Amino acid sequence: MNHERTITTNETSRLSVRRMTARRVVARATAAIGSLVVLASCATNAPQDTWQPKGPNSQMIDDLQRPVFAVAGIIGIIVFVAVVYVIWRYKDRGQPIPEQTHGKPALEITLTVIPALILAVVGVFTVRVIFDLARTDDTELVINVTGQQWWWEYDYPVQNEWGITRPIITSGQLVMPVGTKVLLRETSRDVIHSYWIPALNGKRDAVPGRIHTLRLEADEPGIYAGQCTEFCGLSHANMRMEAVALSEEDFAAWVANQQAAYRAPAEGTLAKEGEAVFLNQCVRCHQVDGLKRADGTLAIAAPDENVWSGAAPNLSKFMTRNTFAGAMFDLLRDACRDDVWKAESAEFGSKYLAGVGEACLNVSDLRAWLRNAPAEKPMYANPTLLTETNGKYRGMPNLGLSESDIDKLVAYLLTLK
Amino acid sequence: MFKIGSKLLLGLTGFAALNLVAHVIFVEQLAIGGVALSIAFAALVGLTATVLITNEGDDEVQPRDAALLRASMWPLVTVAALVLFVLGLVVAQVYFVLGIVVLLAALAEWMVQSWSESASDDPAHNESARRRLLHPIEFPVIAALGLGVIIFSFSRIMLAISKSAGAVVFMVVAAVVLLVGSMIAIRPRLKPALVGTICLVGAVGIVAGGIAGMGAGLRTELVEAAEEGHYTHRECGAEKSKYFDKKAMKTLSLRSNVAAVVELRDGMLTAEVYGFEGARQTISVPRANPVTIIFRNFDDAERRMVASLGTSMAAATTEEPAEDDHGAKNVTCTQLIPTGAEQALTITYNKPSIAQDEPFTLTVPGIEGQSIEVLVP
Repeated sequence: MNHERTITTNETSRLSVRRMTARRVVARATAAIGSLVVLASCATNAPQDTWQPKGPNSQMIDDLQRPVFAVAGIIGIIVFVAVVYVIWRYKDRGQPIPEQTHGKPALEITLTVIPALILAVVGVFTVRVIFDLARTDDTELVINVTGQQWWWEYDYPVQNEWGITRPIITSGQLVMPVGTKVLLRETSRDVIHSYWIPALNGKRDAVPGRIHTLRLEADEPGIYAGQCTEFCGLSHANMRMEAVALSEEDFAAWVANQQAAYRAPAEGTLAKEGEAVFLNQCVRCHQVDGLKRADGTLAIAAPDENVWSGAAPNLSKFMTRNTFAGAMFDLLRDACRDDVWKAESAEFGSKYLAGVGEACLNVSDLRAWLRNAPAEKPMYANPTLLTETNGKYRGMPNLGLSESDIDKLVAYLLTLK
Repeated sequence: MFKIGSKLLLGLTGFAALNLVAHVIFVEQLAIGGVALSIAFAALVGLTATVLITNEGDDEVQPRDAALLRASMWPLVTVAALVLFVLGLVVAQVYFVLGIVVLLAALAEWMVQSWSESASDDPAHNESARRRLLHPIEFPVIAALGLGVIIFSFSRIMLAISKSAGAVVFMVVAAVVLLVGSMIAIRPRLKPALVGTICLVGAVGIVAGGIAGMGAGLRTELVEAAEEGHYTHRECGAEKSKYFDKKAMKTLSLRSNVAAVVELRDGMLTAEVYGFEGARQTISVPRANPVTIIFRNFDDAERRMVASLGTSMAAATTEEPAEDDHGAKNVTCTQLIPTGAEQALTITYNKPSIAQDEPFTLTVPGIEGQSIEVLVP
């Protein structure tokens, strides 16, 4: 009898130890996963953080989402704790099934009215913010934004008050004056895209055949990163954008430079040879305003004949931008890029306006792109698989350029400032 | 070894394999049809293997009791579907697709009925098993088809009668539905047969109306508008349409994509662009993207807006140019529209302004010295 009791006690003890070990493992795993989740939210290099507003529009959204998030969080915790308590308190221990009751009007009405009231309050503030974000009557600068697979085009209509006396066209980086109410008029040339610079405002779809507006305003000079947020095909994840906010003086300088006449490279230089390569190969799709052919006629690109969307980035003043290929690649080497991105507000404008020089050029990515663009960014550019698009590309094809031609093109592109 | 089920599945597997091979050879390897047939083939191979391994779950083949068998319409429907299917291969894709759908439905019904008749010795239980399996599919499908017929019939009625009569019909039908629904709600103990009869009479009435509507054809206004093709007018001559988008800005599709609203008022031509304060004399539109411009005429006389498309064929309207004098003129116009009316013009500028010797403009014949410049970056 004593022997049996000893065995039973030992078995119980082992079982208890096993249970404690299992609980410890579960507790440690939970703590580890929880820590990872918390630590993951502490990334310092998160330029698309929705919790760091940098302008009045995103601030409005932030002012709304923080209390809503807090209320939702508190309710979520209460519900979670209640569910866990009920699961633990009333778990099946072999007890008899309690008396079943049906209906408790007072409780049901309370549980309906309280959420309804919370939602009504949230709704009032949400609707107010939606209307404030939709305002267009206080616009100070208008920019047309056109999305296509997989890059954004920006054109600035004539606005004499900003010194824009003829339309400016650029891509990849949206340049805007700081502290100015900018209105984007968005549309698309092919499929639905969505424009989103989290630090400056919420997202807005760019839809073919429609014009949607989005307000942007930045408090401080700097670069604000964004991302297309509507799945738009093969390289959706690589369709990025950056908004560059400059002081009014710097913006005026940028505008003046964008409208400056084309400066052809000097005769006998590598860049001049690059201009010839550009005229032979690139001008089929890429426009450089002012560029002339050997016979003196203006070189007019025909992307509508070669590209499914009908457009390719206009490369006038290409080296005044910091990115290329739909803002997927930096034109600046890492050190130079950091120098611009991390510049103090007072210095940012001059550093950005300096553009990209030979010393700072990210030549490896640019050369790789010119060598074989589809290998760098997924695109529909295989000439044998273009039956559905009547032979037109979606993205840039492999032009089969020689290394010598690439040298010349890089030299030429460096002159486009 | 081979029983009814395994024979059927073996046959289907072979059929899928043949189709897959034919598809790969004659159509395209990467097409979605090839993927679908591959999946069907793989699934059938799995099912066939399962029934063969398990010997269809029974060691002995039970002879079927003839008394348990019911007459079936599904062989007949299957043959009709096969005819439709083959006809579709020759005539039109719609019959081909319809044939496949009906064929699959008939085969499914036939198989389930055949299976249920062998389920037990009790015909009532067998019928119940068939219902349990198929009713959750049959009822929604039949309801959707019925609703589709009703909606289609109603649309034929509305397209055949005049606009004002259409409004009356809408109100009357809505009132009748409300009335009958209220009556049924007030008297829930109404006999189901009576409710069913009321619904049936209503449905038959609408379908009969739809057939009559199809017989009568579209109302004159719609026929004439379609013949005029008022969205594709490209001549800038003397033609005048009876039917055009007199209130273009009241249609969402146009209102949501207006590059500019051009107004002629007191001899002045001005453009309003959303986002800009005040009237403008220049508008900027993107290259190689259709843009819609609304023209509003507040002049005393009938006027049209003329869009010059440059000195070369750098721009095009949404339609391919006809082989008439349009290419020579290189302009596109709205129609002559009366005072207070408006019309939309959709244009695609494929080349930038710098490619032109003369600017892109919007003008109104007879109104001198007034034009809007269109800038295409």
